[in-house]
Amino acid sequence: MLVSPAFIFVLVFFVLPLIFLLSQSVLPEDGGFTLSGYVDFFQSRVSRIVYLRTLKLGLIVTGICLAMAYPAAFVLARMPARRRSFLMSLVILPLMTNAVARTFAWLIILGRRGMVNQTLLSLDLVENPVRFIFTETAIVLGLTQLFLPLMVLPLVSAMENIPDDVLEAARSLGANRLTTFLRIVVPLSSDGLVLGATLVFTGSVTAFVTPAILGGSRLLLMSTLLRQKAVILFDQHAAAVVAVVMILTTLAVNLLLRLGRVRQA
Amino acid sequence: MVSRWMYISLVILYCFLLGPFIIIFMASFGANATMAFPPQGFTLDWFANVFETSQFIDSFWVSLQLALQSTMVSLIMGMPVAYALTRFQFAASGLVETVFSAPILVPGLVIGFAMLNFFVLLGDMHVMTGLFIGHTAILFPYSVRVISASLRNLDPYVEDAAVSLGANRLRGFLLVVLPNMQAGIAAAFVLGFITSFNNVPVSLFLSGPGVTTLPVSMLSYLEYYFDPTIAAVSTLLVIFTVLLVQTAERLLGLSQFV
Repeated sequence: MLVSPAFIFVLVFFVLPLIFLLSQSVLPEDGGFTLSGYVDFFQSRVSRIVYLRTLKLGLIVTGICLAMAYPAAFVLARMPARRRSFLMSLVILPLMTNAVARTFAWLIILGRRGMVNQTLLSLDLVENPVRFIFTETAIVLGLTQLFLPLMVLPLVSAMENIPDDVLEAARSLGANRLTTFLRIVVPLSSDGLVLGATLVFTGSVTAFVTPAILGGSRLLLMSTLLRQKAVILFDQHAAAVVAVVMILTTLAVNLLLRLGRVRQA
Repeated sequence: MVSRWMYISLVILYCFLLGPFIIIFMASFGANATMAFPPQGFTLDWFANVFETSQFIDSFWVSLQLALQSTMVSLIMGMPVAYALTRFQFAASGLVETVFSAPILVPGLVIGFAMLNFFVLLGDMHVMTGLFIGHTAILFPYSVRVISASLRNLDPYVEDAAVSLGANRLRGFLLVVLPNMQAGIAAAFVLGFITSFNNVPVSLFLSGPGVTTLPVSMLSYLEYYFDPTIAAVSTLLVIFTVLLVQTAERLLGLSQFV
């Protein structure tokens, strides 16, 4: 009874549209049930490249976020509470600002007359400005900046729960810093690691704003491909296929990592 | 245990997280008409341009109205769900939890696309109504989660005491539970507001001629113009967000719910 108004809302306005989307992907406007949309998607060279590129960049971004956030999160987790809460609010701040604003900064940094190019030119390292925008590097940088907080937050809250005594015990029993880190800190913070990696990866493979600004139509990812099929090519059937592949990809990643976590526990 | 290179990694992390904001600030006051770096001179022209561009002003009001409405409705409808999930054990609670966390698992762009096609199927729908439905649906997971967390912190015996002293369940909820949840509700409100206010992917497909949200209109401005006006809008938005979040943090301790 208490649940019903919201439940009906989500059912009608969220679940039904998704079922309709699914049906659109297997029922083209002219004809009956077919999986040809999916066959076309995976047979087309362009969409295969886009799909693999999306997954590849997602993995790279997750790896970079992990490498940047892991040691930093450890320092944050060991800090006195007051200083930590101030620094954590600086981590949250970027999350509270819209993606267009945050991605725009990269146009200034990487543009033809941007920061990086001006530096390279003034040091005589290059003769002409280097094109950075519309490259995979630009997208990776943009996505990393966007999703880094989602890696830091779960890592810090997992590491906060490791008692100092455990670390001291390991040290006093003869483990060096690296061993303590690899054999105590990493296993005890694996929940935060898995959660952070899931958030960053699924965020990266579905993000729209960053690939739209830094990749444009020259370097498509799944999200920009979906938009192109729907708005520019008016092919709702093909767009629905792309959308369903995106849903299945994020669901698969979530399930896989959840399974891995259950087995570990 | 904490070594020097770990501190260095902390500094790098913060440069990477906050550096872009500093660059946006600088660019929004720079006098060059194109995006050259470092900016030369000082001007407030770009800020003036923001307020003279009706596209930004109109879409700001759309975003504000949309964020307020969808956050309110998702809270009002989400509160009973959170209450049911934390207070009662029932057969379908697993299903209910899954349904209400689903909007967070489906990519925003896909939600917007699916909803647009569905609304077209339903017939004429006002653009604002479509946006409102889309935003309300994606806010449920946040509302339900934050309010559930604040309900779990509240001792159920307090409510039982009210009931055993003669209040009915509704009175007990309104007079005892609700006042104790103020901080949680306010935190959910701020979180929901910011999520809706910043959303691009869901709004992108659901926006229509003349009715656009601020982030979407920033994105489309970027397709045609490449000047520091967007830096000025971004600067204004950062100031707006910092004020909002700092106020919320001071009053309620927002970060414990994120």
